[in-house]
Amino acid sequence: MTSIILLSIFGIINLFVGFMKSKRILLPLSLLFLAVVFGANLFSWNEAQSYFNHMLTIDNYAVAFTGIMVLATLLLLPFSQHYIEEANENLAEFYSLLLFSLVGAIMMVSYENMLMLFIGIEILSIAMYVLAGSDKRRLRSNEAALKYFLMGAFFTGVLLFGIVLIYGATGSFYLTDIAATAAVNDGTVNAMFTLGLLLLVIGISFKISAAPFHFWAPDVYEGTPTLFTSYMSTVVKIAGVAAFYKLMAAAFAASYAAWFPTLIAITVLTLVVGNIGAVVQTNFKRMLAYSSVSHAGYLLMALVAFNERSDASILFYSLSYALATIVAFAVLQYVSEQRNGDETYAAFNGLGKTNPLLAFAMTVAMCSLSGIPLTAGFFGKLFVFTAVVQDARLMWLVVVAVLMAAVGIYYYFKVVIAMYMQPAADAAKIRIGSFASFMLIFITVFTILLGIAPALVSDLL
Amino acid sequence: MQEIVMPRMNQDMALLCLLIPLLPFIGFLLNGLGNRKFSKGLVGFIGCSTVLVSFLISIYLFLDFKANGSQAYTVDYYNWISAGSLRIGFSFLIDQLTLLMLLMVTGIGFLIHLYSAGYMSHDEGIGKFFSFLNLFMFSMLLLVMGSNYVMMFVGWEGVGLCSYLLIGFWNKNTNYNNAAKKAFIMNRIGDLGFLLGIFLIFITFGSVSYPQVFAEASKLTGLDTPVMIGITMFLFIGAMGKSAQIPLFTWLPDAMAGPTPVSALIHAATMVTAGIYMVIRSNVLFILAPTTLEVIAIIGAATALLAATIGLVQNDIKKVLAYSTVSQLGYMFLALGVMAFSSSMFHVLMHAFFKALLFLGAGSVIHAMSNEQDMRRMGGLRKALPVTFITFLIGTLAISGIPPFAGFFSKDELLAHVFEHNKILWGVGVLASFMTAFYMFRALFLTFFGKFRGPEEQKHHLHESPAVMTVPLIVLAILSTIGGFLGIPEVFGAEHVLGDYLAPLYTYARSINPAAFETGAVSHELEFILMAVSVGVAVLAIIIAYFMYIKKEEVPAEENARLAPVHNLLYQKYYIDELYNSLIVRPVMWLSNAVHRLVDVIVVDGIVNGVGRMVILSGRTLRYAQSGAIGFYLLVMVCSIALILFLNFFIG
Amino acid sequence: MNQIPDIIRTIPLNYYLYFSTALFIIGVIGVLIRRNAIVIFMCVELMLNAVNLLLTAIASYRADTNGQVFVFFIMAVAAAEVCVGLAIIVMTYRNTRSTDVQLLNNLKW
Repeated sequence: MTSIILLSIFGIINLFVGFMKSKRILLPLSLLFLAVVFGANLFSWNEAQSYFNHMLTIDNYAVAFTGIMVLATLLLLPFSQHYIEEANENLAEFYSLLLFSLVGAIMMVSYENMLMLFIGIEILSIAMYVLAGSDKRRLRSNEAALKYFLMGAFFTGVLLFGIVLIYGATGSFYLTDIAATAAVNDGTVNAMFTLGLLLLVIGISFKISAAPFHFWAPDVYEGTPTLFTSYMSTVVKIAGVAAFYKLMAAAFAASYAAWFPTLIAITVLTLVVGNIGAVVQTNFKRMLAYSSVSHAGYLLMALVAFNERSDASILFYSLSYALATIVAFAVLQYVSEQRNGDETYAAFNGLGKTNPLLAFAMTVAMCSLSGIPLTAGFFGKLFVFTAVVQDARLMWLVVVAVLMAAVGIYYYFKVVIAMYMQPAADAAKIRIGSFASFMLIFITVFTILLGIAPALVSDLL
Repeated sequence: MQEIVMPRMNQDMALLCLLIPLLPFIGFLLNGLGNRKFSKGLVGFIGCSTVLVSFLISIYLFLDFKANGSQAYTVDYYNWISAGSLRIGFSFLIDQLTLLMLLMVTGIGFLIHLYSAGYMSHDEGIGKFFSFLNLFMFSMLLLVMGSNYVMMFVGWEGVGLCSYLLIGFWNKNTNYNNAAKKAFIMNRIGDLGFLLGIFLIFITFGSVSYPQVFAEASKLTGLDTPVMIGITMFLFIGAMGKSAQIPLFTWLPDAMAGPTPVSALIHAATMVTAGIYMVIRSNVLFILAPTTLEVIAIIGAATALLAATIGLVQNDIKKVLAYSTVSQLGYMFLALGVMAFSSSMFHVLMHAFFKALLFLGAGSVIHAMSNEQDMRRMGGLRKALPVTFITFLIGTLAISGIPPFAGFFSKDELLAHVFEHNKILWGVGVLASFMTAFYMFRALFLTFFGKFRGPEEQKHHLHESPAVMTVPLIVLAILSTIGGFLGIPEVFGAEHVLGDYLAPLYTYARSINPAAFETGAVSHELEFILMAVSVGVAVLAIIIAYFMYIKKEEVPAEENARLAPVHNLLYQKYYIDELYNSLIVRPVMWLSNAVHRLVDVIVVDGIVNGVGRMVILSGRTLRYAQSGAIGFYLLVMVCSIALILFLNFFIG
Repeated sequence: MNQIPDIIRTIPLNYYLYFSTALFIIGVIGVLIRRNAIVIFMCVELMLNAVNLLLTAIASYRADTNGQVFVFFIMAVAAAEVCVGLAIIVMTYRNTRSTDVQLLNNLKW
C-alpha cells in the first residue's frame, strides 16, 4: 500500500518539477523515487495486510511482483537519455505517466476484488495509450496509439461483460466469495458463470497479447517509441500474467475444468504464432514484439500447469524475461538512434567491433531470451517446464515448447551474427552515458548471476 | 554406478575440486576482458597455465582417490536450484569415470592449448581465441564433473556454444559461418532430445541427481518398459547430436572450418566424446532398455561404415580426419550398444590420444603449407617435416590398429565384444576398420611421400613447426604408442588395468542384468583369430594403399578434370591393375561418392533445410494475417471469441 | 412510493440479460463494420453501457449496492478513456486529415 501511495505522490511531484526549465533533474529524481518505492515495498514482506474492505491485499505474492515491476521500471528509465538530450518538453509527463501506470500494475497484482482488477487494468492501459502516441508528430506512433486504444477499449468491454456475468452468477466481486460459490457448485455454477469466466480469460489474454488476441502487439510495439515499448513488453505483460494467475488461483481454481481447455489452446497457439511469426521479421523491434508474444506463451504454460510451482515459475520467468528485454530494447534505442532510426537487423552489423559493451550485453540478453544455460532465461524455461511436467500428461506441451524454443534461437542469434560476423557499415562508435553503461553492465551481471544461482529468486514464493 | 558415500567434509578438497573448472573460467575472463591490452605471450601464458594447473589438480585428485580406497564421493557446494520438490545442488561427483575424463580433458586440453600458442601466434585474434578455448574447457569440465543431469546439460550447451564460436572464429568467410550455424543447429536438435530426456527422468524418478536416479533405477524390475525406452532414446538423440552419429553427423566434417587446434580439441578429442560419456554415466538406465542398446549398436555400426566409406575419397586432409572421427565415434557407440562400456571408454581414451595427435600433425602440415589443406598439393613432406612425419605415422599406425600401438588394443577389445554379441555387426566393424587403415595410409602417403606437388615457391617455405608445436606432438605420439598397455587383453596374461578400474561403475547395472557383464565367453583361440583378422585386414589395406599411392604414385583427380581413358591406359603397366581398378576401386570410389552425395547432401541436409524452409514458409503465411488493418484484426479476434464460446458450449 | 429497485424488479432479470447482451452485440457489430474511429469508439461506449445496464439490474435484484458502485467506476473510467481516446483521434486527424481507421496501415507484417 505504501508503494501505491508513494508512487501517486511522486508522480504528482514529478509533474510539478516539470515546470522547471531544466529537465536534467527529472531522471535522477524519478530514479530516486523508484528506488524509494522499491525499498518501501520490501517492508511489506511477510507482513500481509488488507486494505479498502479487503479489496486489496498486499501479500508476498504482491510484494514480489511489485518488486520486479518497480525494478524493471528503474532499470529501463536510464535509457531515456535521448529524451533528455533533445529536451523533450513533455518529459515530466512521460515519467509521471510511468509512475502512475505502475500504480495500476501494483493493483493488478494485489487485488482481491474484480473492481480493483478492472481499475488497475484501466490505470495501466490508459497511461499506455498516451505513451504509445507520445511521439505526436510521427505517424507510426499515432497509428500505434489509435490501434492500441481502439482494440484495448473494445477488450475492456469484453472483460467487463465477463465480470458482470460472474457477478450475476455469484453475487459478488470478491475473489474469495466467487471461489466459495463455485466450490459448492462443483466449479460450474451455470452457463452465465462459464460464459463470464471465458470472457474474462479472453479479456486478460488480450492484455498479455496471447494469440489469437495478439494482433495489436506487433503493430503497437513497432510504432510506440522504444522506451515505452520496453515498458509495455515488460511491466504490462508481467502485471497481466500475475493478475491472470491470481484470478485463476484465487477465484476459479475449482472451475479448472471450465477454463483449462481454452487456456491450453491459447497457450499452444501463442507459442506457435509468436515464434513462427518472429522468424520472418527483418525489423529487430518487430521481432522483439513477436518474441514477447512467444514469451507470453511460456508464461501461460506455468498457468496451464496450475500447481504449487506455478507462481514461483512465473515470478522467475518474469524477472529473467524483463532483464533481457530491457537490454534488448535499450541497445536497440542506441543503435537505431545513431543509424537514423534504422531498426532492422542490418543496423546491428559490426556492433561487436565498434561497441563491444553494447554487443556483449545484447548477446547475453539474446542467450537469456533463447534459454541458453548460465543465463537467467535458461532457468526461467527450466522452472516453467518442470512445473508443467509435474503432470506427465502434459509432456506433449513441453515438447511443443522445446521445439519452439529451438526456433527461437534462430531469430535471436540472427542479431548476434549480425553484430559479430558482419562488417560494420557505419564504423562510428556509439556514445553511451557512463550511468547507462553501468546499468547495462549491472543488468548483464544480474542475468548471469541468476543463471548461476537461481535460488536467489526462485525460493522467494 | 556404485553406492555413493557421503561427501567427505574436507574444505581443502572442495576448494581443489572447484578450482578445476574455475581456473579455465578465470582464464576466460582475463583473456576475454584484456585481450586487447595483453601481449600475445601473456595471453598464451594465461590460457595454458590455467589448464595446466587444472591438470595437476586432477592428477592429485586421482592419486588421492586411489589412496583412499577408490570410494566415489560427491562434493556439495550450495543449493543451486530449488523450486518445489525439485532440488538440485551445485555439486561435483568424483568417481572413476569423472577422474578419467578429467585427466583426459585437462591433459590433452593442455597440450592443445600449448600447441595453439604456436599455431595461432600470427593471428591477431589470439586473445579472443584463447578466451573461447578456456571457456570451452570450463564448460567441458562442468559437463564431466557435475553430479546431476542439469549440470551436465549446462556444460553440454556450453561446449556447443563454444564450438559454434570457435568454428566461426575466422568469421570473415561466409562458408565458415554457415558451417558454424549448421553445427549449432544440429547440436540443438540433439540437445532438445537430451532436455526432454532429463524431464522424463525427473518425472519418472523425481530427481535428476545421479546417485538418486541410479539408485531408484536399480530397483526397477522388468526390462524394456516404455518409459525406460523413452528416456534412453531421448538421451541417445542428445548423444547423436553431440557425437555426430547418423543422421546428425554432417556438421562435424563441416566444422573443420575452424582453426586446426579447435578441430583437435573439440571435434576430435573431447567434446564429441561427451555423448559417450553420457551413455556410460547412465549405464544403469541403458541396461534397462535393451531395445535402445540394439538401436545404438546398429546406428553406431552404420555410422562407422558410412563415414569410413566417405573418408575414402576426401582430398582435404582435415576432412579425412573428420570422417575418420565420425567413424571412430561409430565404433564407440557400437561398443556401447553391446554393453561393452569399459571397452568404449578405452577406445575414447586411445582415440583422444591418436586423433589429437593426427589433427595437430595435420595442423603442423597446414601451418607449413601456409594454410593449404588439399592433399593433392602436398607430397614429399617427409624430409621437410621430420618430426611431424614420424608422429603422424605413429598416429596413423595407431588408428589403423597395428600392434602394439594404442588403437590396436582398444579396437581389438571392442571388436571382440561385438563378435560375442552379433557376428554381422562385427563384420561391419572389420570392414570399416579395413577402410580406415586404407584411407589413413592414403592420407599419409599423399602427404608425406612421393614428390611435392604444390607450387615451386611454396617448396622453399616449407619448414618444421616450432618446438611449442612439436612437443605436444611428441608427447601425444608417446601416449599413442604406449597408451594401449592400459588394457592388455587377458589372453596375454596381464591384468586389464582400465577395465578393473572402471568396474565399480557398473555395480547397479550388473545387479540388474548380470549376463551382460559375463566375460570370457570367447575362447582364447578365437580371440587370437579375431586379433589376427583385424590386424590382417589393416595390413592388407596398407599394402593396397602402398601400391596405389607409392608404387603408382596415383594422385586423386582434380574435381573438374576427367582422366582421359587413353592417357590412363598408357600409364597402366599391368593389365591386372586395370582390372582391379575397374572392378573394385572404381565401384568403391563411385559408391563412396554416391553415398556422400545421397546421404550427406540430399537426405540429411535436405531434411534439415526442409524443416527450416517449412518454418519460414509458415512464418510468411502468418505474416499476411498481420495486415495492418484494425477492422480485420477485430474481426479475427471476434471470430476467435465466437469460436471459443462455440467450442466450449456446444462441443465440449 | 415505489423505490427505483422495486420498479426495476417489475421486469424479470432474464429480460435485462437478453437486452444487455443484444446491446453488447450491437456494439460489437458496430465496431466491426464502421470505419470512422469516432463511431467505432461510440460503439465501444455502447458495449460499456450494456454492461452498466446489466450491472444495475443485477444489483437491484440482489439488493446489493456493490454492483451499482461498480457502475460509477465504469463511468469514471470510461470518461477518462474518452479524454485520451478523443485526444488520440484528434492527433491522428491532424496528421492524416482523416478519421478513417482503414487508412492507418503503415504498421503491418
